Amino acid sequence: MKTDLVVDARFKSCPGPLLALAETVSKAKPGQIVKLLATDPGAPLDVKEWASGVGHKILKVEKTENTYEIFVEVSR
Amino acid sequence: MILPKISIIVASDKLDKLIPAVTLASSAAITGWEAELFFTFWGLLTLKKDYEPSEVSSDYKIYQEALEKAVASNSMPGWREVLAQGRKTGKLKIYACSITMGLLGVSEEQLDDYVDNIVGVAYFLNRAKDSDVSLFIS
Repeated sequence: MKTDLVVDARFKSCPGPLLALAETVSKAKPGQIVKLLATDPGAPLDVKEWASGVGHKILKVEKTENTYEIFVEVSR
Repeated sequence: MILPKISIIVASDKLDKLIPAVTLASSAAITGWEAELFFTFWGLLTLKKDYEPSEVSSDYKIYQEALEKAVASNSMPGWREVLAQGRKTGKLKIYACSITMGLLGVSEEQLDDYVDNIVGVAYFLNRAKDSDVSLFIS
């Protein structure tokens, strides 16, 4: 998938991945796609709640080995 | 869309109480919620500029080193960093309990700059009364 920005939050525990993602997304432009890499098992569901709260779109969640790849489209 | 609100009373300076309180409030604010933190009793100490909370609750001392290591290695963000990011959203408010200020002899000048206001219990109750989540962490 086309990716504009990558946030590597592997080996960071909660709320590290969410904080890192939110920081990057706040500086991104609408339409850009941000890929979050996370190993924290809570990350996929946390990111889902965050995205629905602030209005961004989750395009895809993939798991490879122990790493989640979460693709978020910046909506605003 | 109206998003929820969380209000937390932080009454301890122990890291195992402080970190969850700050994490909940900041994560809520980042997710678009309104978040209010009211620091009272020993929790108020953590708002002092010259005070660095460093201990966990006495029952859990054996985990102190693990917690310190997690923060030092950056696998777990420090509580001040988490708080700062929550504050950046403009949705997280921090209140210092006026009664405790008198009790512990803490002056306004001694408080960190990120404290929004020094308030009494009636003010906080009014702010918290329509919260969807209310917690007392001590």
